[in-house]
Amino acid sequence: MAPREASHEPAGTPAPVETGIATLAQLRAGVKAFVDKDGEKRKAEILMIQTRAGKPKFYVHYEDFNKRLDEWIDAARIDLAREVEWPAPEKPEKKKAVASKADKAPPKVDPKNPKRSRAQIEREASGTPSEATSSNVPSKIQRKDSELLVTTEVTDGVTPKPEDEEMDVVDIQDAAAAAKAMPDEEYSREDEIEKLRTSGSMTQNQAEIARVRNIEKVQMGKFEIEPWYFSPYPIDFIDVDMVYICEFCLNYYGEETQFERHRSKCTLLHPPGNEIYRDDYVSFFEIDGRRQRTWCRNLCLLSKLFLDHKTLYYDVDPFLFYCMATRDEHGCHLVGYFSKEKESAEGYNVACILTLPQYQRKGFGKLLIDFSYLLSKREGKLGSPEKPLSDLGLLGYRAYWQEVIVDLLMDGRIEANIEDLGAASAMTTNDVLHTLQNLNMLRYTAKNQHVVVLTDAVLEQRERQKAKEKVKGKRSIEGERLMWKPPVFSAASRTWNW
Amino acid sequence: MTQRVTGQRFRQRKLSTKQNLQVLREKEIEQLADDDATRHIPKVETGVEKGEEIEHHLQAVISAAQAAAQGGGKIAQLYIPTPDAVASKLQYEDLYPKRFTQPATYIRFSSTVEDSIGCPYCMTAEDVAWLKTYNKKHKGAPCSEDDLEQAINFFEETTQTKQPYASVDNSPVLTYEELESEFDETIGESARNFARDIYIHWKDERIRRGNRPLMPTLKFETNLETDDADPYVCFRRREVRQVRKTRGRDAQVTEKLKKLRKEFEEARFLMSQVKRREMLNRDQLALDKQIFEQRSAVKEVKRRLSIKTDDEDILINQRVSLTIPMSGSAMLTASQPAPRPSKAPRLDTQMLHRNMPGMNSKSQPTRPDGRLVDSDLTYLEDQLAKKADMIDHFVDENLMKHQKWNEGWVDATWRPITPPLEQASAKSDFRRVFTDSQLPTPPASVSSEENGDTIAVNQAKQLEPRRSARIRFATPPDDVPYQDQSRFRRRTGRGGRIMVDRRGVKRQKIEAVDDRIADRWKFAGDSSEDEQVYPVDWTDNLHIRYRIMIERQGERHAQQASRRAIENHNRSMSGHSMPTGGQS
Repeated sequence: MAPREASHEPAGTPAPVETGIATLAQLRAGVKAFVDKDGEKRKAEILMIQTRAGKPKFYVHYEDFNKRLDEWIDAARIDLAREVEWPAPEKPEKKKAVASKADKAPPKVDPKNPKRSRAQIEREASGTPSEATSSNVPSKIQRKDSELLVTTEVTDGVTPKPEDEEMDVVDIQDAAAAAKAMPDEEYSREDEIEKLRTSGSMTQNQAEIARVRNIEKVQMGKFEIEPWYFSPYPIDFIDVDMVYICEFCLNYYGEETQFERHRSKCTLLHPPGNEIYRDDYVSFFEIDGRRQRTWCRNLCLLSKLFLDHKTLYYDVDPFLFYCMATRDEHGCHLVGYFSKEKESAEGYNVACILTLPQYQRKGFGKLLIDFSYLLSKREGKLGSPEKPLSDLGLLGYRAYWQEVIVDLLMDGRIEANIEDLGAASAMTTNDVLHTLQNLNMLRYTAKNQHVVVLTDAVLEQRERQKAKEKVKGKRSIEGERLMWKPPVFSAASRTWNW
Repeated sequence: MTQRVTGQRFRQRKLSTKQNLQVLREKEIEQLADDDATRHIPKVETGVEKGEEIEHHLQAVISAAQAAAQGGGKIAQLYIPTPDAVASKLQYEDLYPKRFTQPATYIRFSSTVEDSIGCPYCMTAEDVAWLKTYNKKHKGAPCSEDDLEQAINFFEETTQTKQPYASVDNSPVLTYEELESEFDETIGESARNFARDIYIHWKDERIRRGNRPLMPTLKFETNLETDDADPYVCFRRREVRQVRKTRGRDAQVTEKLKKLRKEFEEARFLMSQVKRREMLNRDQLALDKQIFEQRSAVKEVKRRLSIKTDDEDILINQRVSLTIPMSGSAMLTASQPAPRPSKAPRLDTQMLHRNMPGMNSKSQPTRPDGRLVDSDLTYLEDQLAKKADMIDHFVDENLMKHQKWNEGWVDATWRPITPPLEQASAKSDFRRVFTDSQLPTPPASVSSEENGDTIAVNQAKQLEPRRSARIRFATPPDDVPYQDQSRFRRRTGRGGRIMVDRRGVKRQKIEAVDDRIADRWKFAGDSSEDEQVYPVDWTDNLHIRYRIMIERQGERHAQQASRRAIENHNRSMSGHSMPTGGQS
């Protein structure tokens, strides 16, 4: 929100932001302008400019909105009557690359908003100047049709780079990144890659994720879905209007004819693994990333469309995928899944978790979470989802935790112990604490004691939920229907290499 | 989110997660200034990335939830807006036919995507158009869609292996001859017929795309420097940790390979042996069948010529099923194989044999009267049933007889039906029992040598007769001294009864005797049925030692002492062939 901007203005900002009135032609990547969004003017940053059918199109990111709302807009929606913010003027220096790196580092702090971690980590962090990177981009991109060639109309005082005409998607990204780069949380790219090599599936590194969405639309099963984020599907799909994804094998096709041909040949009818849970509503399949490499890669590509922080940097081998599906005569339709490290160093019981957008807000997320904790209970371990959580992830987990904890507390007990609550629900102590605290249920009494309070609000919420369940029918995971033993992996089968 | 609190009034007490905390309702606690409520509790992070935590929609939902948790009344359900998913225009029913039937059990599945999608190449609209015109022009059988895909797929895959960097290094498209020389089983006969024509089309397509693969492919690492920054490069291998090369490791590897090879060879050998066995089985069956057919031919001939001889020639190698009944009077059938199989068959067994007309054992040569064999053919089941009846009858009869003998008599002895003790039988007659495992139920009491060609009849059935008493022995523990180990002696008694004496049989404590175990000894004695039987484990070492002790006190008191012992044990009659004072 705009007002928030002011509060973020840190005291002692070294360089003031350059603002001014801009013409349409002066707009370039990195410029922040006010844009009409659902009848409201919001500040948005231009990440990319393309000319389509003779008209410029702007890919904008709204400040303080999740990136999934980033979109292509017409010039008409940009409010040029108001001042725009120019990106920090460091373009000329960039040519000098490594040599000037050292002196460049300090001013790289985004003067606007140092807390903004959307700003990407600078390429310099990994010792690769962005220019060098972009010129090395494989020749594939060069063959892109002319409509994809970006025309950056830079006419302001800043010296335009001679290669500007050849800029492509990646270049723009780099430019945008460079424009707002700031040294990120003491977390270098090497560190991250090393960490990802051995564990985890989420990136903390914004360079990985701040990308322009590359897929226009996805057709899957009975639905057409608008992707939320970038996913490294074949680069050829930038050109296509719709990517067709087979609901069962998750293979992807850029052309309807191909997809139809594929459908006539594909024999899969359910996720290719063992069914470990079945009730009259859903089934769960367990799939080993190592044994079903293609399928799991396809799944990851698909889920990357909707998970911002998911990284596909490394292969799927060290993960198990628990896929939830609904059944009918057509087959078992993938509804959502979560992945789980075969061996999590940090005690995570979920790596990535996703309900496909076409099935969201139907209570499937809760089933997925519940199932992940059921597995943890069977393993006799406490578990927690891998961080960072997405916004939707946080809300989903909070709702689940609240329900579980409140139900436990309402069983008539007069005393509760945080660790016991955790043990009963396979939740980590921290998550129990988080939940209680978040619901304002942990209080400190005048008697100098901590107590757990079942607040009226919480009780009322639970009652309302129960009433709703009565009407709609309660969907839950029944432990006795799970036919599963925690899989054991020898060191050899778990290893990260092939 | 709750407010951060600034002031601190008291010494804080840390929240312990192990400590039990009171659970209260809101009305049960006195309201403090609500700032105090949370300030001693460490703030837990949400786990959402800092930059995203402040996002507008998330904050809106969180503060709404917060308001609800604080009791701020009802707040409209808020959602974080997400891009749309709408119903597709494609004909779902056509694309996804109803082919799924849910199995009763949970699905178990291990085929991969590659196994399930057939030919990986799928025709594009261009291919369809080309195929249409081609089939119009082309004479003869039309080229099918599958042929086209198969051929193109073959071209693609071959190119991929021969020119992995075709898209980068500008190498020319492979010539047809180069491709043809690679033909293998992945390209079918019919596809080969069209391959040359399809090649032209494929080459056009390929050139149009700058010699890049026709199917969009993911970008994998190429080990170039650009990989790292390229967002399209995905699914990298996790680097192999370099293993230090040492002589020892080399040797290990060699050993492993050798072992693997050996194991594979053994497995192969096993398989070939199994195959051989099955072949032999088949041959044998064929031979058996042949024999049977020829026999029936002989029989036919005999019948036609009405030759009335016995059927020795027909049945000569047919096995006579001879089942050996349990000896009715053998009180115990020891569970070890008959120790001396060469011994003559027991009396009653022979008697039974004589009484059974259907039993043509070798020892009883075929009847010389020359009756038609057909009339003599009997069913095994009948014979078995008859035999079982006979045994039962025999036992019943003897029981009755015994009861009659005892009628009007009060049996005052405590070992009434035991035969006189053989003087010679000393302790040495006892044989030790060595069992490796729990032995099966005893074999037929006639040794197998005497009935060498006896078919193994259903033993379980045979042992069914209700009076068969069975004893099973557990393995004697190694560390038990000699006198504590089980020993057995077999004696032949009055009327050909077989008796097995035992010593040192380990059993569970008698207190633990349950009905089932007690049942084992129910008929262990020769006592008649109307007598009460109390299960007493006379072979219990304690009892034996007790009696020995008593014996040593003098023969005079022996009788008396044992009587007392019996009284102590409710006057059991079940003891049989106990070693007594007179013996030692």
